Amino acid sequence: MNNKLKIAIYSGEIPSTTFIERLIQGLSHKNCEILLFGRVKKKPNYRSNILIKGYKSGRIQKGIYLVYYSVLLTLFRSKDKQKLDAILKTNNRTGMYDKVKCYPVLWHQPDIFHVQWAKGIHEWDWVKAFGMKLIVSLRGAHINYSPIADVQLAEVYRTHFPNVDAFHAVSEAIAKEAQKYGAQKDKIKVVYSGLDLDVFNTTEMEPSSQNDDTFNVISVGRPHWKKGYGYALDAFKLLKDQNFKFTYTIVGGLNLELEYQLVELGLENDVISINHVPFHKVQQLIKSSDLLLLPSTEEGVANVVLEAMAAQKLVLTTNCGGMEEAVIDGENGFVVPIRNVQQMAKKIQEISLMSETQIKNLTDNALATIKKQHTENLMVEGMFDLYQYK
Amino acid sequence: MKHTQSSLKIGIVLSSIPGYSETFFRNKIKGLQSNGLDVTLYVDTFSEVPQNLSCKIVSAPSLGNGFISKTIVSCVAALKCICLHPKRSLKHYNLDKADGLPFKHRIKNLLLNQYLLNQNLDWLHFGYGMLANSRENVAEAIGCKMAVSFRGFDLYLSPLKHKNCYKVLFSKKVKYHVLSEKMKHTLIANHISEERIHVITPAIDINLFASGDHTTKAKENLEILCISRLHWVKGLNYVLEALALLKSDNIDFKFTIIGDGEERERLVFAAYQLGILDHVTFAGKLSQTEVLKALKQSNLYIQYSIQEGFGNAALEAQALGLPCVVSDADGLQQNVLHEKTGLVVPKRNPKALARAILELHNLDSEKKQHMADFAIQRVRNEFNVEKQTALFLEFYSN
Repeated sequence: MNNKLKIAIYSGEIPSTTFIERLIQGLSHKNCEILLFGRVKKKPNYRSNILIKGYKSGRIQKGIYLVYYSVLLTLFRSKDKQKLDAILKTNNRTGMYDKVKCYPVLWHQPDIFHVQWAKGIHEWDWVKAFGMKLIVSLRGAHINYSPIADVQLAEVYRTHFPNVDAFHAVSEAIAKEAQKYGAQKDKIKVVYSGLDLDVFNTTEMEPSSQNDDTFNVISVGRPHWKKGYGYALDAFKLLKDQNFKFTYTIVGGLNLELEYQLVELGLENDVISINHVPFHKVQQLIKSSDLLLLPSTEEGVANVVLEAMAAQKLVLTTNCGGMEEAVIDGENGFVVPIRNVQQMAKKIQEISLMSETQIKNLTDNALATIKKQHTENLMVEGMFDLYQYK
Repeated sequence: MKHTQSSLKIGIVLSSIPGYSETFFRNKIKGLQSNGLDVTLYVDTFSEVPQNLSCKIVSAPSLGNGFISKTIVSCVAALKCICLHPKRSLKHYNLDKADGLPFKHRIKNLLLNQYLLNQNLDWLHFGYGMLANSRENVAEAIGCKMAVSFRGFDLYLSPLKHKNCYKVLFSKKVKYHVLSEKMKHTLIANHISEERIHVITPAIDINLFASGDHTTKAKENLEILCISRLHWVKGLNYVLEALALLKSDNIDFKFTIIGDGEERERLVFAAYQLGILDHVTFAGKLSQTEVLKALKQSNLYIQYSIQEGFGNAALEAQALGLPCVVSDADGLQQNVLHEKTGLVVPKRNPKALARAILELHNLDSEKKQHMADFAIQRVRNEFNVEKQTALFLEFYSN
């Protein structure tokens, strides 16, 4: 009999985001079986203990998938099927899509069902009725701002959080935030995001065409408002007015709002926007910059900052979310308050005046922080502990 | 004045039928009709005949989603081009060719514009700049004059999104209508000759927004209002930051935003992080009666947009004698006269905005009353529907 722990990692899509994929890959080295449910966009090349049980998005494919699991459940576990149907009916979830999502999970019945995005929690608390353990990740916007603007979502959390067996929090800050919606403190375990250090230590620099007296700042991330690029541009406008020489590269592209701001502030020749580049190229760009800036208003703990620290690059972050759990101002990087253009500009200028020795001290400390609390091994072990939590 | 231009046929191209809140178009259409002009509205789609709008409405044929429906609609359009108006179709094709359009685009434009090619008009007027895109040669092909209105977003933001989108348009013989002097200067900078640009500002129903016996309210309670979509162009994040500065100076206030939009979550979160969520009400969309009530209950109006064609709500606030603080974005600096009918503050500057709010709120009551009286009078004289209609009649007359 197979007594390996069966863990379902559910994000809705296969493959998932970079950090969830990192978790999946890391866990696959443990003595466990990983099940992936949801919509299959592309089949990644996984190890043999990662099993894809998702569906393709076409109507016909979904139909065949549903018939397959309906027949299996009817023939071999008809009582469980009836029980699940009754639960779904009580929750007014009688559509085909609800069954497409739920039937395969019931059939494969993992020991752990780990929901990556809290907003979907109301769709999954039925798993407990079949002996599966429900674990929910507390990540970014789902906890930090969506329930503030959406009172109905806050109510969903208050209803369902008490039923969750354990929570995975990406930071202490978000763990605290989730308690406002009924997540019990003793059920939350903080497991920080972890990196494979070898990837970041071996990255080579991108050949630079910049002048030596120009301070090169880089930010990485899509142009979503929560990333706070508007504040960064306002800060660089202040610096430009003080004749500070810089280039500011945004990897992830600009939206119309930022493009218009760029034109209005007259920064077209000082800001470089790069749309889509592969991961290793991003690492090269970070390595050849003088400073990685995270101007965000909300984050769990931003991976890009951890990656820059691992690559021994100076970082400047706002104090949003859990960022101060990784970055300590003046010790292993720099921190400024959120939404504060003046302080951001002042800090960038101060950092540009640092000596090589000062930089070396800080970046050594940054790497030490990553080794201490953000390795892939620590993440996997932490998560595995959480799954075995009784 | 009436009936002097009764033979004029005006075709106005819009993407959809103007809703109740789009008073500019509704006022314009009604004004032209009451002066005997024949107005036809061309829209992309419409599902039901609107109330309170009696002009003829022509809808572009729907292409549908599937390949088969697209093919059928295209074939019908091609047949109509050949059989019903071959000369006009050929002319349209040749004009597109002269503009250097590739063959595929010439055919595509011809088929998409077919529903306009059989129309007999004196003027074909595009309600927004982008609506004239790929239709630059329709007016000439059907032998009428072409007019284009620019309203702000289309002039300042669309070219960032669609590079060189007005390259062909700006090379044509077009009469332009813009909402403000600022926009006129922007067009002149694009090498459009001044005599082809006409500034016609929006107008409001001055009877609806009559101030009555207006007296400015006591300064104790700072109750600020803004009527605005929740969209980044409206600069509401900067307003919230300015209000946070007021709070840090222990100044009590209440801020109400009337309007809804995609950025509600962003703004609620900003108010929360800035520690002023308890002072801010996101009222959502309200009826005109409720808007009027809110305007009358407030004692300061803010329109701190990053980009704004003109800003009708600021006109309505002024018509009611409400002190206004606005940004210097585009038409707003013409809408509100700095230190005469309100205060105009440089955009993207929360500190300056906070100072202006306080300055206006603490203005002594006599000066405030004087400012309100002047604003009310100016709006009544300059921004009434009759004046707007007269200017449009003049616009089409030569």
